[in-house]
Amino acid sequence: MLDIRGLSKRFGYGKGEVTALHEVSFQIAEREFFTLLGPSGCGKTTLLRLIAGFTGPSGGSIVLDGKDIAAMPPNRRPVNTVFQSYALFPHMTVGQNVAFALEAQGRPKSEIDPAIDEMLTLVQLLHLKHRKSSELSGGQQQRVALARALVARPRILLLDEPLSALDMKLRKDMQIELKRLQRETGLTFIFVTHDQEEALTMSDRIAVMSGGRVQQIATPRELYDRPANRFVAGFIGESNFLSAMASGGVVEVGDGKVHLADAPDGALTLMIRPEHVVLSAKAPDALQLEATVNQLVFFGTDTHVHLLLNDGTKIVARVQNALHAGQSFHEGERIFLSLPSNALRVVNEAEAEA
Amino acid sequence: MSKRSFDVTRLPGTAVIAMACFVVLYIPMVILVGYSFNAGKVIGNWEGFSLKWYGAALQNEAFLNAALNSLILATTASVIATLFATMAALATTRTEKFRGEGAIHIILNQPLMVPEIVLAIALVIIIGQIKQMTVYTGLGFLIAAHTTFCIPFAYLPIRARLEGMDLSLETAAADLYASRFYAFRRVTLPLLAPGILSGFMLAFVVSLDDLIISDFLKSPGQDTLPTYLMGELKRNLTSEIYAISSLLLLLSVLIVAGSWVATRKKD
Repeated sequence: MLDIRGLSKRFGYGKGEVTALHEVSFQIAEREFFTLLGPSGCGKTTLLRLIAGFTGPSGGSIVLDGKDIAAMPPNRRPVNTVFQSYALFPHMTVGQNVAFALEAQGRPKSEIDPAIDEMLTLVQLLHLKHRKSSELSGGQQQRVALARALVARPRILLLDEPLSALDMKLRKDMQIELKRLQRETGLTFIFVTHDQEEALTMSDRIAVMSGGRVQQIATPRELYDRPANRFVAGFIGESNFLSAMASGGVVEVGDGKVHLADAPDGALTLMIRPEHVVLSAKAPDALQLEATVNQLVFFGTDTHVHLLLNDGTKIVARVQNALHAGQSFHEGERIFLSLPSNALRVVNEAEAEA
Repeated sequence: MSKRSFDVTRLPGTAVIAMACFVVLYIPMVILVGYSFNAGKVIGNWEGFSLKWYGAALQNEAFLNAALNSLILATTASVIATLFATMAALATTRTEKFRGEGAIHIILNQPLMVPEIVLAIALVIIIGQIKQMTVYTGLGFLIAAHTTFCIPFAYLPIRARLEGMDLSLETAAADLYASRFYAFRRVTLPLLAPGILSGFMLAFVVSLDDLIISDFLKSPGQDTLPTYLMGELKRNLTSEIYAISSLLLLLSVLIVAGSWVATRKKD
C-alpha cells in the first residue's frame, strides 16, 4: 500500500550539508501498525515529515496506492498527522477542531455534523464538544488531536511521538486506546517513537532506525529474538555482549566453548539476553563460564545479578524472585554460569550502511 | 515563579519613588485637563468651572478642519501601514531563512532610529519637487509620509505575535487539507488579529500625534491637529487650547486602552 523507495533527505549546502536520511526503502501493508523506532536524530521524524509532505525529499519516491506522492503538497495527500505538540487550534472549540479537515475539503454541513459526533464518541469526548481546546487536559487534547486527524478517514495516520508529553499512567492507557482505535477504524498507522517498550507493545512491525538508515524491520518478537546488529540488540531490550573467536562452528569465549552452527570463522560478538543466563547450574549444550557476583539489584519481580567474567567482561543475569526461590547469591561470590547455545546470537558489530 | 529571590517591590523606598514618578508624569496632564474646564480665558487664573471652551472648540471651524484632516490622515496611513507591516511580518517569519533577511529587518525598522527631523527634511526635498511638478496639494503627501514612519510601529507587535505563534498550527492546517489561503484565513489570521489590531492602533496614535513631519510637509492652509495647536500656541495660550488638547488626550487614551483590552481578551 505504501512503498518507500530509495528515499533520502539532505539539509544544508556545501560543507554544512547533513544527510538526515540515506536512501531508505520499505513497504507498509494495509491496516498495519508500523513503528519507526530510534534515538533522537536517527531520521525517524524526517521520514514522517516526508510522508506527510511537510518537507520534500532530496531523492527517491513515496508511492501510495500506486501513485508517487513525493511532490504533492500536504493538503492534497490522504494522510493525516497527530503532532507531538498536538497543535490544536487554540481559538476553536473541540468540535470546530475536529470539523476542520472536512470543512477544508468543502464537505456539506449535513455530512460534517454527524461525522464530528461520531469521532468525538469514538474518543469519548462528546461531552466536551463545545469546550475551547485550550481548556483541556493533556490527555484530552491528545484525544481531540486523534479525532481531528481521523475524521477525514485518511489512508494513513501518522503519529509523531504522540504519547511523549503524557505521564506514565496516561501513556499506558493511551497505548491500549490507540490499538483499539486502529482496530475499530481499520486504518494504517505509522507511529514514531524513541521508546522501545511503547514500540514493542503496540506495533505489528517495527523499523529500527539509526544514523538516517533503517537497521532492521521486523515484528517485535523477531527484533527481540534475532536483532540484526549490535545497535538493534542494544536498543531493544537489555543485552549482554561477549567477544568470541570461532572456527568450524565452535565458538570460544575465555576458557568456555560452545557449538554454534551459524558462527562464521574469526573474531565475532555474541549477544545474550539477561533472562536467558542460567546461574549455578550446568545446562546442556551451553557455554560454561566462571564469574564473580559483583552486585545485586532488586527489581521486585526479579533481581539483576551483575557478574564479572575472568577477563573483565560484565554480564547481567535476570533471576525471577519466585516464592520458593532456591537460589540466593551474595556479592563477591564465585559462581558458574551457563549461556545456552539456543539463546546465544552472533551479532554484527557494524550498523547497516546501505 | 512564586518564590523570587529578588523582588523589587520589597526594596526600601520603592513606594515613594514610584509615587514620585507617577506625580511627575501625570501632574502636568492633570493641570491641563483641569484648566480646560476654567471659565476664564487666561491661563493660571481660575474663575470657576465651565464647559464653554469645549463648546467654543466644537464651533471653531479651523479646529474642526484640522481634526478631520488628522482623522483621515491617521486612519488612512495606519491602515496602509498595517497592511504592509502584516505582509512584511509574514514574509520575515513564515518563510525559510533567506539571504538579506537581517537587512530587511533593519530597513523596516529604520524610521524608529533615524531622527525625525532628518526624515522630515529628506521628505521636504523630494515632496517639494513633486509638488512643483504635479501642483497637487491634497493630503496624499502626508498620507504617504505618515505611512512610511508608521510601518515599524505596526510591524513590531504583529511580528512579535507571529513569532510567539506555534508554527505547527499552520502545518497542521495544511495537513488537514487546507490550502494556503484557507489556512491563513481560518488559522493564521484569527490568531494574528490581536497583533494586527494593536499594531494598527499604535500606528494610528503615532500618526495622530506627529508634528514635525506634518509641519514640514503640509501645504499652505492645510492643518492637522498638532500643527494647528502649534500655530495657536505661538499666538496665545488660551483655555480653548487646553480643551482641544484634552480632547486629543482623551482620544489617545481611548485608543490605547481599546488596543489593550482587545489584545488581552484574545489571549
